Amino acid sequence: MRTKKTHPPRIAGWILKHSARYEENFALIGDFDEEYQEIARTKGPFFARIWFWRQCVRSLPVFIKDSVYWRFIMLTNYLKIAFRSLKKHKGYSFINISGLAIGMAVCMLIMVWVLNELSFDRFHENADRICRITMDLEFGTTLHTPVTLTAAGPALIDDFAEIIAAARVDNPRRVSIEYEDKTYQETDVGFAENAIFDIFSFPFVSGDPRTALEAPHSVVITESMARKYFGDDDPMGKILRLNNETDFSVTGVVKDVPANSHFRFNMLRSFQTLIADGDVRDNMWFDVRFYTYLLLDEHTDPRQLEQKLPGFIDKHLGDALKASGGSVVLSLQPLKKIHLYSDFERDISASGDIMFVYLFSGIALFVLLIAGINFINLSTARSSTRAQEVGMRKTLGAVRSRLIGQFLGESMIHSILAMGLSIVLIYLFLPLFKSVIGGELTINFIQTPWWLAAFLGMAVVVGVLAGSYPAFILSSFPPVHVLKGLLKAGGSHSRLRRILVIFQFSISIALIAATAIVYNQITFMKTKELGFNKEHILIIPGMSEGLRKSYRSIRSELMGLSGVIDVGASDLVPSRGHLIAPFLPEGFADDQVLAMDYLDVDAHYIPTMDITIVAGRNFSEDFATDPDESVLINETAANKIGWENPVGKRFVFRPPPNSGGEVFYVTVIGVVKDFHMQSLREKIEPLIIFNDYDSLSMLSLRIAPDNIPHTMALLEKKWKELDPDRPFNYLFLDDSLGSQYRQEERLRTISLYFSLLAVAIGCLGLFGMASFTAEQRTKEIGIRKVLGASVSGIVRLLAKEFMLLVIAANLLALPVAYFAMNRWLQSFAYRTNIHAWIFVLTIALSLFIALITVSSQAIRAALTDPVNSLRYE
Amino acid sequence: MKELTKVEEILLLAIWRLKDDAYGVKIRQYVSQITGKEFTYGNLYSALSQLAKKKYVKKTLGDPTPDRRGRRKITYTISPSGTRALKAARRMNQKMWEDIADYAFD
Repeated sequence: MRTKKTHPPRIAGWILKHSARYEENFALIGDFDEEYQEIARTKGPFFARIWFWRQCVRSLPVFIKDSVYWRFIMLTNYLKIAFRSLKKHKGYSFINISGLAIGMAVCMLIMVWVLNELSFDRFHENADRICRITMDLEFGTTLHTPVTLTAAGPALIDDFAEIIAAARVDNPRRVSIEYEDKTYQETDVGFAENAIFDIFSFPFVSGDPRTALEAPHSVVITESMARKYFGDDDPMGKILRLNNETDFSVTGVVKDVPANSHFRFNMLRSFQTLIADGDVRDNMWFDVRFYTYLLLDEHTDPRQLEQKLPGFIDKHLGDALKASGGSVVLSLQPLKKIHLYSDFERDISASGDIMFVYLFSGIALFVLLIAGINFINLSTARSSTRAQEVGMRKTLGAVRSRLIGQFLGESMIHSILAMGLSIVLIYLFLPLFKSVIGGELTINFIQTPWWLAAFLGMAVVVGVLAGSYPAFILSSFPPVHVLKGLLKAGGSHSRLRRILVIFQFSISIALIAATAIVYNQITFMKTKELGFNKEHILIIPGMSEGLRKSYRSIRSELMGLSGVIDVGASDLVPSRGHLIAPFLPEGFADDQVLAMDYLDVDAHYIPTMDITIVAGRNFSEDFATDPDESVLINETAANKIGWENPVGKRFVFRPPPNSGGEVFYVTVIGVVKDFHMQSLREKIEPLIIFNDYDSLSMLSLRIAPDNIPHTMALLEKKWKELDPDRPFNYLFLDDSLGSQYRQEERLRTISLYFSLLAVAIGCLGLFGMASFTAEQRTKEIGIRKVLGASVSGIVRLLAKEFMLLVIAANLLALPVAYFAMNRWLQSFAYRTNIHAWIFVLTIALSLFIALITVSSQAIRAALTDPVNSLRYE
Repeated sequence: MKELTKVEEILLLAIWRLKDDAYGVKIRQYVSQITGKEFTYGNLYSALSQLAKKKYVKKTLGDPTPDRRGRRKITYTISPSGTRALKAARRMNQKMWEDIADYAFD
């Protein structure tokens, strides 16, 4: 009797099929089926199913154990083969591993930096709820700044319940500090309201965060300051004397401000000091000195609050603004955006730039990409050699998946070795990288093990990605073709290889061109005629009140020193800021005020600086009325106002309404040639110069170019006599001017290093490719030589292919570089053109580098004795 | 030459006895019958693949039958080195059990 056939349980069958990994698997499953049918016939399908499941489950542990064991054996086998192939092709492996290692090291360094940039200000507990008020002031000109109206902070708290705290701080500056008999110059000393500690999370070591800055003349210092001044003594209650005039008592010590905070300080004096001294009064609306930070209620959306701010301005300032025709727009900037998304004038600290973060991330990716492309390129280039091996393995019964496994294993080994090497590289190049990014950065693989994990992850991903192409291509070769020799010279893969080389080189070329253009612009900015003579100008900043009063006698004493040619004084010097205010030229309607830069100088400043007077005269000590009644303007001001003969024209000063003051006028006595107060990024603004002896704060000395050290020594000695309380501080104008372009110089260094890197990695790849091509064509070259080809002819033949690729890369890269750099140049008011020679130079340089890289291999191949290369034919 | 394990010894004997019928199902049933316990396919194939690796047995592909849903069977035969190993095992067993009567442990 035959019962109808039943089907064994599917799930159990599936488990069986996938857990057992023997060569005899098909027989095993067949055995299961056969016995199942037998039991089904004799005892019925139900028992058969039970039997099947029992067998399956009880066999499972053994199956799994065996399959893991065999996989492990296979893995060690792959690794063994991979190491053998690595040893066999030392040069190739070296190129591959070092290329990848450089790529990974760069990528890793940049990743660490990018994460550091992104971490700014996030350590504050309430980071999500903190905002900074920023202001757009329209007063004939636009001022876009985070410095706000002094009265705004307290008024905001009164008006809006959703604002929990508001704190005003000033921009921390350099101050001299005296304790007992020692005097130090300390940077980052600011003023702040006590609420700053409610808003930010600066943990206190001692003192009470709720009251530390409540009293006038109290100061909170950082831990390292406390150690510097008081050693192991208790700092609380100690007295520090600031600027030789005011005593402050220490009421709190906080932990040092983390490096990734945009708001940095060493000491914070209480804001109450300013109020007590009368520097800050209630309702100082049109006073713009302080940064205001807000802590918002948990459920408040800053954007909704922002929409209520126009009403707030209208309520408090509506009438005043209507009278003057200006406007004030307040915005809220979230704390987390301050570091990377600020483009303000007079910002509290040099901020980062999200563009740099993008730029760096892009470069990191590109460098890794170039290195990865090298890997793919070299592997496919070698495919003809490896193809024999693959063909042989396939004939001997290797399954495709095993071959893929083997190739992936090889690329993994490469990338993991590269990772090891790149860790060494990272430690080697960390100092250089720090100087490039201009900041502090630490990488510690031991303290932050997840870095190592991330790194390993990167190695594995790169290994898999870079290895998968060769793995899948190589393993797909039909053995018959390979062993018959039909797959010569990489065949169809050479097109892909060419595209990759072009792509790789165009990145390098674009970077070279960009570097040249940045260089050019910086040179332009540093050598451009600025409208004054910047050489050998020494600036002594920070004249105290006492010195200012005796300025004339000080000046004559300094003039008496040998080596001092001229001495002038001003309230600002070029590159050290500028001040803007509205001015009303006579004959204009009251609401047609013009925003102008203004500058206060003595009668000697303009000649000292070699600023040309184009019309009229300079201020003179012979005219006693000059300080009160005369001004100079620059050409831009004359043009903007529309005065053809400005000399004799006047500006009107109206006192505030109800103040009882009288209207008065100042007369233009001369016009100076335009000169640059600001960096060349900015246009020259209309400028008005006053002869005001009360606000002079910086001395400018023109000194003789010879024997500067002697002059400096004399000056220092003299200065010690004149101002014994404070150290002799000075700077050279051209240094200060140069430092305006630090950001551009950073960009220059970055693009220089990265183009070097990209070129280096690209050349490694090109070198590898060239040597393989030469190797593959050994016989062809031999035959050519036998038939009479010259060495130079053969070198040309081999090099030509690569030269064409580099030219194609140039064609691709240069337009991109042109457009990108053109956009960059737009950010400068005064800029160079992108000259054609830059591109010619780039093309020449890239061809030259490529030629050198390729020709060594080509020459070697061309010099080979044909007897050797054709020995076996 | 390493000594055979008990399982290998039993399997080799089973293969030798079963002759042409020495394939998975029959070997398993035979071993289960001898040991009086259900012998699993897991243990069977784990040991068989080891024996094959050590070259004690040779594999021959058989024909598929309807019950096997088209899958071929592998019939095992003992190789000369397998035979040597069996003989060695037998000698060792005999030496071990020499002089010991059946009732010795009662």
